[in-house]
Amino acid sequence: MKLVAQLEEFLHDRKANPASPDLAIRDWRIVVQEAQQISLGIKENSPGTVYTPPSYRKGEKAELYIIWEDGRLTQAQVQAPPQGSGKEYWFEQLTEWRQGSYEDPYGADIPEPEALPVVAVEDREIARILQGEDEVFFEQLARLLKNTPEGVNLNASIQGNWGYIHVRNSRGLAISYQQSQYGISFSFDSLVGAGFGKRRLIKPEEWDFLWNRTCSYYEALQKEGPEVGEETLIVMTPSVTGDFMRQFLHPNLVGQNILEGRSAFKKEDFHGKNKVFHENISLVVDPLRPFELSSYLVTGEGVPARQTVLVDKGTLQSPILRMKDAKRWGEPPTGVPAGSSGMYLQGAQEEPWENVLREIKDGILILSVLGMHTQNSASGDYSLSAPQSLRILDGKIIGKRDVKIQGNFFKDLASEKTRLGTTEIDSKPYLVIQGEVQNM
Amino acid sequence: MKGQAIKKIVEELLANKPGHDNKEGYYIIRAHAKREWGMGLSNGRFERVTTSRDQGMGVQAFTAEGVCGFASTDNITFEDGREIMERAMALAKGNTRLEAKANRKIWEAPLLREDGKKLNELDFDHFSLTELQEMVLSLHKDLMEKSPDIAWQTSYRQVEDYWCIGRSDGTLVSYTIPRSVLMHQGTVRVENRAKSFLVHFSGVDPSLLLKEKESGALMKKAIQRGEFARKVCTAPQLPAGNYPLVIDYGLAKGLAHEAFGHAVEGDHMGESVLGEEGKLKAGMRVAPPGVHIIDGPLEGDWAYQPYSANGLVRETVEIVKDGVLLNGLGDIFSAEEAGMKVTGAGRAESYAHVPLPRMTNIRLLVDKELPLEAQTGLMEEVASLRKLLLQEDLLAKEGKHLLLLGYRGGQVNPKTGDFVFQCDGIVDLADPSLTIYQPSIFSGKILSALQAIQAGVGEGCFDAIGTCGKRGQGVPSSGGSHRYLLLDQDENVTLGGGQ
Repeated sequence: MKLVAQLEEFLHDRKANPASPDLAIRDWRIVVQEAQQISLGIKENSPGTVYTPPSYRKGEKAELYIIWEDGRLTQAQVQAPPQGSGKEYWFEQLTEWRQGSYEDPYGADIPEPEALPVVAVEDREIARILQGEDEVFFEQLARLLKNTPEGVNLNASIQGNWGYIHVRNSRGLAISYQQSQYGISFSFDSLVGAGFGKRRLIKPEEWDFLWNRTCSYYEALQKEGPEVGEETLIVMTPSVTGDFMRQFLHPNLVGQNILEGRSAFKKEDFHGKNKVFHENISLVVDPLRPFELSSYLVTGEGVPARQTVLVDKGTLQSPILRMKDAKRWGEPPTGVPAGSSGMYLQGAQEEPWENVLREIKDGILILSVLGMHTQNSASGDYSLSAPQSLRILDGKIIGKRDVKIQGNFFKDLASEKTRLGTTEIDSKPYLVIQGEVQNM
Repeated sequence: MKGQAIKKIVEELLANKPGHDNKEGYYIIRAHAKREWGMGLSNGRFERVTTSRDQGMGVQAFTAEGVCGFASTDNITFEDGREIMERAMALAKGNTRLEAKANRKIWEAPLLREDGKKLNELDFDHFSLTELQEMVLSLHKDLMEKSPDIAWQTSYRQVEDYWCIGRSDGTLVSYTIPRSVLMHQGTVRVENRAKSFLVHFSGVDPSLLLKEKESGALMKKAIQRGEFARKVCTAPQLPAGNYPLVIDYGLAKGLAHEAFGHAVEGDHMGESVLGEEGKLKAGMRVAPPGVHIIDGPLEGDWAYQPYSANGLVRETVEIVKDGVLLNGLGDIFSAEEAGMKVTGAGRAESYAHVPLPRMTNIRLLVDKELPLEAQTGLMEEVASLRKLLLQEDLLAKEGKHLLLLGYRGGQVNPKTGDFVFQCDGIVDLADPSLTIYQPSIFSGKILSALQAIQAGVGEGCFDAIGTCGKRGQGVPSSGGSHRYLLLDQDENVTLGGGQ
């Protein structure tokens, strides 16, 4: 019997027939993930080494939330019971869940079922790969090896996931759907690389774009570039923009952090629709985009996916609210991103990256930074090393330079001089800012 | 599921290997059962209390040539085990399509049949979750009463990790690692600037809650850190530059772990600043005489690991001895190729992960140890440190001599040797008024930092804990150094820019 069926039957029964007043359940919800995963890897030009062997994983796990009759709450992560343990196992677990219950006046409620949006989150091609037709992955790995430039140390991984999500609750919500994931990443000499992750396989033109861009950056890294000066613009690649969004935007917009005083923003900043960024800048959560990794039909709490505008033309609109924070905030729950994935930074005047690059007279392209996770999220201040960056002069990438950058990300987004450059493939923009940059 | 039942399944699986070529191939089976209770409080209220169980099996299968495949499942049953053994071997055979590099080193591993010893006095469920909630809430409220103007979050975790590792040669190793940790995180706000800080106390079982209730040591430390953080909020920025430095043992552990531990892991030698043509640069002088870096399991430690994930005894390794690079962290698969000894360094996050060479408890020690007078308060200890440096004629006579307090994490590029670390705040020991500065990024080249070590101050403190995330696998890490470590001024080690 599947885990979802065991849990659903047991919780229905315990709600209807409590063994004692102490074990009486008012409401419950579960989310069960059944997943299979296959992965392949290359380590230092060797495919399928003992550290990166072809791997297969199958698993079934559940998260459970109970509101007891006395209002106490329980959260637990569970797996299928050990072989031969039967229903007794769940009765023992119930006692442990009750012991672990706690009081939280702001605890999340159980939502009533609502209509779900239509979102593409499953690629049948990935399901077939998991069923054994895995030639595609082996061919992709072979292609990476074949095309790697002479003398380059290649590290890479390819991964596919496929499985079911089951969401059930005591108010009648019962949803099961299939979802898939695909990811590929590679790096040259552990200095420069690229990654792609969606709920579908990569397209040939996307592969070519990422590969060619990585090769061109790697080639540029082989030459020394001139020192940076006071006029040098900082240019963040899409992955670095994503790192900044994860460190400085997401934690400050999570409802719980705002309510607990751990955010740069206060509740009244949202009520007052305070201006925090330049009017060119907007920020949205969008879980409805087809085949994005962060897209979903329904959250584990049972809330249907919905778009949410967090910042509109520079002014604060909404925080990110899960059920619990929404109750405390007094607003409905919002769309929920997975870190910066699922959060989209939009510019009123976005331009293709090629055009933006052409117009940069003096810049430094930041491919990666060291120490991002050590930065103070609430202040927005950053001071980071960026070895292996690329100098841009007169619209051309010309050579390597090690630099340090510092500034304040909120001020960067509030500046009228900040520009956004977009590409077809990247979900985050290139960000051109006037910040402080020093030679290392 | 009980350990004995898990062991029996692993033994049965190894006794009944699938397929016709079972005499030629090789299997490593890792069964793992993890139980965890956790709770978090914020400003007097429970935010969460969670219970979790996670168990399963992972199988690494090798063809007769030594080509590898891996499969895992969330179930520990004979049938599921057979299925993943077959799947792992099929993947290993498929791997030959890629002309994968063969590795037959596991055939040379010594046979071992051992059970680890019990480390905890109190069993995992000695206290019920209800009792634990009361104890943690009481500690949290004590803290709020003593220091009501700081936003406090308290968390407590207790974990029991059971491992059983079996191999085709008959090896069967099992052990249980109990861990517990109490943490207080505070956030202070002064003049609209916020600073947060974290203190922790780790052990093997819930008895640490009783110890803390009796001594209040962690609470006192948290309050002192709060007072320091408050001063940091309004402190001036430090001009970027190269300074003589003193770092606390948390930062020293970060330096040893990120900068040296990872750079000597056997699977990294092709891309390490401490490797050459794939081999460890053994014999290279990396630090002044009298400096040592050691990694090895310590009983009762947060990151304790008595056996490797491949079923070998985990050894203590002298990475740097008397300033000279001596050994690396070698697992059975990569040690020989990397020019190092097999030290049982293989470690995995769970049954679903392939083990990698990595650290357990890493410590940086210096023969020249200056005794530090014990003090009850943080700033009193800092004053005592200044006095000691003056006495020993080690304090900078001109300019600043900076003490970096509180480890906030860091990152290293092992290929280039670049590192960055961040601290909670900085104190100028050369200034008699002990001026406090905003934290500033501590960065440079790892070899320059090691060469700059002058002396250790105070006894060894090896309980700086964390989670190491190498290649996406989170495993406990810990280590330390003397209470403080003195570093000479060096042009390749800087405190740079504002923060």
